[in-house]
Amino acid sequence: MMNFADENFELTEVQKLEGHTDRVWSLAWKPATGTNGAPAVLASCSGDKTIRIWEQSPATGSFHCKAVLEDTHTRTVRSCAWSPSGKLLATASFDATTAIWEDVGGDFSCVSTLEGHENEVKSVSWNASGSLLATCGRDKSVWIWEVLPHNEFECVSVLQGHTQDVKMVQWHPATDILFSCSYDNSIKVWAEDGDSDDWHCVQTLNESSSGHTSTVWALSFNASGDKMVSCSDDLTIKIWGCDIMRMLSGDGNAPWTHICTLSGYHDRTIFSIHWSREGIICSGAADDAIRFFVESEDGLVNGPSYKLLYKKDKAHEMDVNAVQWSSTENRRLASASDDGTVKIWEFVSASGKKKLQL
Amino acid sequence: MDDAIEDLFESTLNLEESHLKEGYDEGYADGLISGKEEGQQVGLKSGFEAGEELGFYRGCVDVWSSAIRADPNFISPRVEKTIKQMDELLRNYPMLEPENESVSDMMDALRLKFKVICATLNLKLEHTGYPKPSDSGNIEF
Repeated sequence: MMNFADENFELTEVQKLEGHTDRVWSLAWKPATGTNGAPAVLASCSGDKTIRIWEQSPATGSFHCKAVLEDTHTRTVRSCAWSPSGKLLATASFDATTAIWEDVGGDFSCVSTLEGHENEVKSVSWNASGSLLATCGRDKSVWIWEVLPHNEFECVSVLQGHTQDVKMVQWHPATDILFSCSYDNSIKVWAEDGDSDDWHCVQTLNESSSGHTSTVWALSFNASGDKMVSCSDDLTIKIWGCDIMRMLSGDGNAPWTHICTLSGYHDRTIFSIHWSREGIICSGAADDAIRFFVESEDGLVNGPSYKLLYKKDKAHEMDVNAVQWSSTENRRLASASDDGTVKIWEFVSASGKKKLQL
Repeated sequence: MDDAIEDLFESTLNLEESHLKEGYDEGYADGLISGKEEGQQVGLKSGFEAGEELGFYRGCVDVWSSAIRADPNFISPRVEKTIKQMDELLRNYPMLEPENESVSDMMDALRLKFKVICATLNLKLEHTGYPKPSDSGNIEF
């Protein structure tokens, strides 16, 4: 584990991206960009019914809007996700549809529209191999789609179990196990029975499992996939753990257990949470601030504990709806807000003010 | 002596109790009749609704199955399997056992499988039901 204890950090604003004309809901860094000479690409989606694609200029290092994906969704675009190959972008909208966009040399066209949800689609997620897509929404259901050749999508299963609006779906980074979190205060874990297309809820993490007591807004996994972090309207962040060897051996029933709760750090709803590859948890909240947490070495006697590493007040002028670490550049972060802007940040060591070589 | 006094006042002492019992018996008899009538109305309505919904799915499954027989490549193996599962559920639905506890699970499974098929076939089919919620109150059973 990295030791961040002796360092002072600060969050430096690199660029403010303006263009959306309504609140920005969600962000997605395109995989395998920002490295090996491929310019970094970021997608953002908004209440203005559009998705914007931002690309970093190799010459100046600054981001510019490369494409606006419009005239497809007729209402708010709530969530966006790149397929692992980066060839497809899935976007979930309040218009009850999920659109699939193909990037052909920088030109985006909508190649498929997934219909089925009764109303607002709230979140979309690709599995690690890019063979499955999950969506969820206000109709309390979670849908799993299989990606077929020629941009065809086949519905595999419709999962019912949540008793309220499902806020987010997220695949485990290493196995085909699906996680969903909801306005019903719970996180549900879904797994397939063998190879049967029969998906079931194998675990529900709720108040009786030391879970959240209000809406669970988001969840994220650490790099190895043995820990999960969730954030909630109950003003806490919770860390969950699982026997990863048992899970990777194909046992979808390997249970997740509560490890610890981070409370007292937030006084408004926490909307977004993201775990970086090097172990820094970042949160975005309704108090316009962005916070950073790491595992603390001090608490090992009583099990792992986490401490606040840094807090950026007034990161945005309004609610921070999404925070997303770059998948290739360790200390680069993007955030999206109700103020209509997207910001690119560098999380740097204040001592020496240079990027750490890790 | 004590017994004689009790006998003398017994009917008066038990006046309240006997009226209570009389009222209860009367209410029970009336309630039995109106309760049965109401139960029959509700049973008729929900039985009709369940039957109507099952009939709708039966019709869809039969049409899809015929289409598969005419052209086996009409749909993917996954959808074909789901249609067969719906067929199975419809065959095994305990139509004449409304108190069988599996009915609601089976109806839920039918509804979900119907959604899966419609989504993949890109069908805009929807079971709206009869009577529609907006009709309720205007239709006599």
